[in-house]
Amino acid sequence: MHLSSPSFFRGRGRWPQRAAALIVALLLSASLGQGMETLRQYLPTAEATPAPADQTTPATEASPAMAPEAGNGPLPPVVRVNVASQSYNFSQPWRKNPPVLRQGLGVVLTDGRILVTAELVNNHTYVELEKPETALKAAAQVEAVDYDANLALLAAPAADFLQSINGARLDETAAVGDRVEILQLESNGTPVRTPATITTIEVGAYPVDENAFLVFKLSAPLQSRENSFTVPVFKNDRLVGLVMRYDPRSQTADAVPSPVIQHFLDAAARDPYAGFPRAGLTFSDTRDPQLRRFARLPNGTGGAYITKVQPGSPAETAGLKVGDVLLRVDGKTIDQDGNYEDPRFGKISLAHYVSTVMQAGQKLPVVVWRDGAEVQLEGTVAPRDRSSMVSEPYIFDAPPKFVIVGGLVFSELSRQYLREWGPNWPREAPLHLVYHDRYQSELPADRGKIVFISGVLPGPNTVGYENLSYEVVEEVNGRPIRSLADLAAAVDNPTGPFHRIKLAEDPGLVVLDVEGSKTEEERIQRDYRLPSLRQLDGAE
Amino acid sequence: MPTAALLTLSLLLVALFPTAAQASPGPAASMVRISTTAQQPDYSVPWNPGNVGSGVGAGFVIDGKRIMTNAHVVSNATFITVVKEGDPTPWEARVLHVAHDCDLAILEVYDERFFEGTKPLQFGGIPALESTVSAYGYPIGGNRLSVTTGVVSRIDFQPYSHSEVDSHLAIQIDAAINPGNSGGPVMQDGKVVGVAFQGFSGAVAQNVGYMIPTPVVRRFLKDVEDGTYDRYMDIAATYFPMLNPAQRAALGVEEADTGVLIGSVFDSGSSAGKLQPGDVILSVDGLKVYADGKIDLDGERTEMAEVFERKFKGDQVKLEVMRGGSKQNITLELDRPWPFEMQARSYDKRPRFVLVGGLLFQPLSRDFLDSQKDVDTRLRYFFDYYVTDHLYREYPEVIVLSEILKDPVNTYVAPFKGGIVEKINGQRIRSLQDVATAFGQPGEFHVIELLGEGRPIVLERSVLAEAGERIRQRYGVTTEQNL
Repeated sequence: MHLSSPSFFRGRGRWPQRAAALIVALLLSASLGQGMETLRQYLPTAEATPAPADQTTPATEASPAMAPEAGNGPLPPVVRVNVASQSYNFSQPWRKNPPVLRQGLGVVLTDGRILVTAELVNNHTYVELEKPETALKAAAQVEAVDYDANLALLAAPAADFLQSINGARLDETAAVGDRVEILQLESNGTPVRTPATITTIEVGAYPVDENAFLVFKLSAPLQSRENSFTVPVFKNDRLVGLVMRYDPRSQTADAVPSPVIQHFLDAAARDPYAGFPRAGLTFSDTRDPQLRRFARLPNGTGGAYITKVQPGSPAETAGLKVGDVLLRVDGKTIDQDGNYEDPRFGKISLAHYVSTVMQAGQKLPVVVWRDGAEVQLEGTVAPRDRSSMVSEPYIFDAPPKFVIVGGLVFSELSRQYLREWGPNWPREAPLHLVYHDRYQSELPADRGKIVFISGVLPGPNTVGYENLSYEVVEEVNGRPIRSLADLAAAVDNPTGPFHRIKLAEDPGLVVLDVEGSKTEEERIQRDYRLPSLRQLDGAE
Repeated sequence: MPTAALLTLSLLLVALFPTAAQASPGPAASMVRISTTAQQPDYSVPWNPGNVGSGVGAGFVIDGKRIMTNAHVVSNATFITVVKEGDPTPWEARVLHVAHDCDLAILEVYDERFFEGTKPLQFGGIPALESTVSAYGYPIGGNRLSVTTGVVSRIDFQPYSHSEVDSHLAIQIDAAINPGNSGGPVMQDGKVVGVAFQGFSGAVAQNVGYMIPTPVVRRFLKDVEDGTYDRYMDIAATYFPMLNPAQRAALGVEEADTGVLIGSVFDSGSSAGKLQPGDVILSVDGLKVYADGKIDLDGERTEMAEVFERKFKGDQVKLEVMRGGSKQNITLELDRPWPFEMQARSYDKRPRFVLVGGLLFQPLSRDFLDSQKDVDTRLRYFFDYYVTDHLYREYPEVIVLSEILKDPVNTYVAPFKGGIVEKINGQRIRSLQDVATAFGQPGEFHVIELLGEGRPIVLERSVLAEAGERIRQRYGVTTEQNL
């Protein structure tokens, strides 16, 4: 009997759960796992409500050896940054979620601009600066933001606002073992400095993407306070980094370090924003002696085995191929694990060199081992065009795209959409969509976007289609669908009295009446009070 | 198939035999208590002999000196004994026929003297809703024959949990059915109207037990008349209700309540080359197919599938189909069962595998997947969407690098555990036989490529023989392949 059983369409809830959607909006990095969680997870009230006037824990509760110092020294180069933000609901894409308030500290730079983490300002509707001692407030503008690197820059306020605050300069010396200070503020504005030690410097995961950048790992008994976004780390009054994750059990914090911040500031100085370049390849270590003999690699040399070259990437343009072994990059010798020897940090992944040490547009000479001989190649590193990805890893500051046709709601696959299923989305979201997102690099280069039926607003026009859920659309009215724009164009040009929608999964074919759909769309827009039946350009 | 909450009435561990009792009239003279010793295959360590367990189920004597019971009572059996009411002697029995797709089995007893004094039970029809039935068996709570009585609650298609992919007609009764009832007859007016086989665990629902109705039982008995069981035939196509007026009009279906839409047609099934996605089935063997997939059969509104269910290998089914706006008559010859056994639980089979240099290769299957601790997104997708996304076309078998028995020869390979094998020595791997063949290729290195972005796994042939011997000894490997 099997599938022939008319149990009919795969039954699933039509929309992801609401509660899960809210959690995801608050906990962007929860999916990174590894036991590290965002500071905010331990401070749910700081998100939703302004902090009460006096809620901080007395500093004396900490152990004497590690006691944070609350003192009257020179004013620290920080201001409070209050952000109202409103995320979009990707499962009901015409909706915005309720606004939330976030508070963080912004680091005042020498030019008067203010540095924060990108997480603090994503989907912002209003950003405000507040002087810690006087509570004087001023509106602020986001000048540059990079969600990959989790950094954002706020424009300098009027000169007199920051009077008496000397901007911070970036540290250029911090290394493993150094003692640093994590700065927080009491609610009355008194700075609290928690001593910390840099335990590890390595390339690691950042909140929103699978891309990895340099991370400083700190050991510190950090207290939870209301200013939990953007907790700055200083060494001798110079900015070492911004804490982006803290695990209270192991008392370890991950910070966006000064080299990444410096690259961000340099890239933001260029117009347009230059971003963090990529080579567009993935590699594996060459520790396995059997692999080394197979690749005829000489003993004692290093090398990183290239396992994937992204189509259209700088690596592909340079002529790199799967199976090449990277020996030198920009004159730096690459070891068996894909590390180079950094003068300050020691062995660090090649990924850091390309993304952060180099600037977009720079030439990248490489030497690879191919067929038993060295081959010299050269590419030009460039940032990845995120919009060209099949499934974008995140979408902030722009509404989700959708098209409603006669009661069927169509969406484009993105990881932001999948995150509506909550922190455990890889297990709970529809498996085929998770799979296409996770392994999108294996899809054909011309795949375009994945368009699917994300919901049904039932009505007379969609009788029998109520249980459709997450079927991928292949063709509409004879046109292949590689984006929602394709779908919109196809339904705007019907070939007869019916829209024929061909699906990749059962039931294979859905038909809508063209005239009936128009009538139904008017009813839906009226009854559901939708501002629009389409959102295509991704901008408001 | 949504079978998660259904639990097969599992066999009970019972050490005692029932004491002698007076053979009473009625079903008692036909009742058989079946004790089975079974060995479950070990898919995580496939060369292992497997875990040995024992259990008790029920059965009853039918015509031809045979005993009917459930397939799950005797699956993977290594030794079966039967005891009849009033006779203390355990008699050794063996499986004559087993149908895992409908959970039925027929046993024979080596010594025919067992059947002296027994009375074969006869089969009745489908009992009416709300009519009273009695279930006989050896359920939990004691050792002797148990009888419980209840009414027929529902007659409908249900998933059969023994294989996890099959659904057939089943009858729900509210007589208490518990572990140990499995295989026992459910009686009405002196005739068997069903074979008790599954229920919900008490935590999920109460007084919900299922029996296999006589149409399914009779089909099994007829199928094995020629000495072999051919399984249920299947049209191997998916179909869907057509309740949307625009969909009906666009496909040229005039009658408002007729027709189901063909969604997928599977390459190796009975409909391959005959039906196409987008076809609309209007009638089956002259019976009108309603838009919700039902037909009128023997005065009852029932599933269209019941027509296919009653047929046998080689039988024909005549379809009236709307294709491209015109009606066509298509005759299917039902010569193949559901082609994707990979998704079904299997029994009485040894796990298949190939072991090379401590690298274990196994085909993806339900039994294999259940034996794995962590299953990643790719494997879950390949299993769940194997049919839906037509992955079977590219992968007749999905070969998984399922385990790495750590040894110097493979110590750098550990991260690749769980990957799907794409190529070995340049040859595409689409079956377990391909693995064995590819490793037979000459060359200095064996090169294994997995699906996705990863480096090739390289094994030097020169050290493999020595490593293989070492691994066999260390890990107690008794054989290096079972194809």
